[in-house]
Amino acid sequence: MSLLNLLPHLLNGIALGLLFSLIALGFMLILGLMEQINLAHGSLFALGAYFAYAICGAKLPLPPDVLVAWAGVPLGLRFATAVVVAPILVAPFGIVLERLMRRTYGRDPLYGLLLTFGVAMVLEELIRVVWGTRDYMMPVPRDMSGGFIMLDLIWSTYRFWAAGMAVVAMGAVWFIVERTRFGAMVKAGAHDSEIVQALGIDLTRLRVWVFVLGTMLAAFAGVIMAPLWGIRPHMGVDAVVPAFLIIVLGGVGSFWGAALGGLLVGMVVGLSGAYASEWSMLSMYLLLIAVVTFRARGLFGKKSVLEA
Amino acid sequence: MKRRSDTSGLSRRALVKGGLLSATATFFGPWQHTRVLAQGEKKPIKLGLTCDASGQYGNSGQDDMRGIRLAIDEFNAKGGVLGRKIEWTTADTETNAATGTRIAERFITQEQCGFLIGAVHSGVANAITQVANKYGTIYFNTNSSAPSEAGENCSRIKFVWDGNGTNFSKAAVQNAVQKIGKKWLLLTNDYVWGHTTSAATKAEVEKAGGQIIDNLLIPQSTRDFTSYLLKVQQAKPDVVAMAVGGDDMKALRQQISALKLEEKTAWINNQQDWPDIWGAEDTLFGVFGTNWYHLLPLPGVAEFVKRWQTTYPQSPIPVPGNVSYNGYIATRELLRAIERAGTTSNHAVIKQLEGHKMLAADRMQHFDAYIDPVTHQVQQTIYLARRNAKPVDKTDLYEVISWTRPETAVDDASLEKCKMKALADVPVFDT
Repeated sequence: MSLLNLLPHLLNGIALGLLFSLIALGFMLILGLMEQINLAHGSLFALGAYFAYAICGAKLPLPPDVLVAWAGVPLGLRFATAVVVAPILVAPFGIVLERLMRRTYGRDPLYGLLLTFGVAMVLEELIRVVWGTRDYMMPVPRDMSGGFIMLDLIWSTYRFWAAGMAVVAMGAVWFIVERTRFGAMVKAGAHDSEIVQALGIDLTRLRVWVFVLGTMLAAFAGVIMAPLWGIRPHMGVDAVVPAFLIIVLGGVGSFWGAALGGLLVGMVVGLSGAYASEWSMLSMYLLLIAVVTFRARGLFGKKSVLEA
Repeated sequence: MKRRSDTSGLSRRALVKGGLLSATATFFGPWQHTRVLAQGEKKPIKLGLTCDASGQYGNSGQDDMRGIRLAIDEFNAKGGVLGRKIEWTTADTETNAATGTRIAERFITQEQCGFLIGAVHSGVANAITQVANKYGTIYFNTNSSAPSEAGENCSRIKFVWDGNGTNFSKAAVQNAVQKIGKKWLLLTNDYVWGHTTSAATKAEVEKAGGQIIDNLLIPQSTRDFTSYLLKVQQAKPDVVAMAVGGDDMKALRQQISALKLEEKTAWINNQQDWPDIWGAEDTLFGVFGTNWYHLLPLPGVAEFVKRWQTTYPQSPIPVPGNVSYNGYIATRELLRAIERAGTTSNHAVIKQLEGHKMLAADRMQHFDAYIDPVTHQVQQTIYLARRNAKPVDKTDLYEVISWTRPETAVDDASLEKCKMKALADVPVFDT
């Protein structure tokens, strides 16, 4: 196997890994900082994709003349609007979910797990009711779509745009969690909620904001992934499984763990897909087994709710 | 002020007597009526519809069920079969073999289903077959097209209604090797249908003088195909033959189209199920197989489409495709076989089905079809199609480019692989 043949697959693995990290980011935030396993993450991801499709494809419940005017707006602007607005539209679902989860705080994590599993099913059915069971294709602006030639091969232009947006989102999350007062409060709240409350911080409101941020990240990932994976009611399942795996692999609560975990999973899936294709899906699970065999809490993990 | 009973002339005793009489009449009346009904009405024939509602073939499973239910409705409108109403029950088999097993067992042992119908995924179909075998329950595999279903996994109680991977390969491969090129690469969904279909394609390619340069196995539920598509580009094949199904196929088509790779090499999709392309029409490319199309210029097609649309005005797919068609035809033939047999006893119905011939006009296909008595697979017209450049409406996606006779596309290998037990060894089953 020559290096020239290997290089495209390495590049592909890195791009795929960044996208996996993006999917895992919101999941990491809620699990790591609030110690809640949110199985509805995938459904929020799917909702983001559907809202983005509605905005981009001018399929909104608006008066016909407004819709016609919106459809006349350049696709690039509609796409940019979808990237910003779709996560905002999904945020209220996160607020409702957080409100439902309050009774599970401080109890066996299984309660939260079951609740979010139920919510995931409700949201998926809601999607079927509103948009039906058919697939949708997310339109992509001309400058971001199609392919380009590199290393004598055709590459997807949008895939690199998506990887770039994943890097930006990860940078923003890192900044919020590590460099802002809000991030410090959230981390302190996760570590010792009683002390945080004693300091006069409204923990209830703080939790709502964490959920909103996690929900918006899930929806943002859905918007970004929609042109690559297509839009269908159960697309959330395709997202939540690798997200959970990446978080466990990287270490619960670790930002860099999620980033590195995503990259490793992407590289392993990409390379095995090219050279031992039948192992490509299994490879991520084998990687997880290999890592947790030697580091039970993942690459950067600390003691977490998963050990409760 | 006088009491009401005084004014009407009714004494208290008369009221009590009347009340008792009424109560007695009410109590015995309905019982008697029910007994009369029970003596006059025959027990319904109950069908268990083993259709996926979720997973890789969730959409196809529901489209299959729409066809099955239409046939049931039509028979019930005529008074049922043998004077018995047709009832049905269904449960989501989840594109999962374990779930299929559980549901088949429940339908037979707890819900008194006389017959099982429905499947898209070959693993699920085979799992249901194992359960049906145990009891002798007749099972109609409507849409799973793995050659193994009528080959090594055939059964005396199972009848296979779709064209299989070998049928489609025989219709497509020889011509493509001669006209397009000899270097072929296979993309194979990593489960029974994918493997057996690609094996059939490989055999046909080599028979025609071609060569398989690689076979990339694609795990089920893969959503990102970039690594495979890079590999395809590096290998530079003349033809890529795909045996990928369900939602996986939709995602694959979408990604091939996004890169415009459909123009770089020739693509052949062994079989294109209608629910897998509806909603992703822009990604239709290459040549693909099917056993029916809703705009075939044949008698009865338009009327069938109309009936289907009237029954399902809110269907997410606006016209019946091959999957719904197979469900409809299979169910209709089952109910006709029961009528001909004059009983629901499995042995009698199986005898009616084995070797049964079906006229082309009745099946809305180009050539007569028959149920092979050796494999229990329906041998039928096989169509090849490509994207329609001049559609008459938004559902007119296919341009049918050829139709192959059943005897030309027959799966010879299945004839050798299928080893059924004798009918006498099948447990007697009747409901």
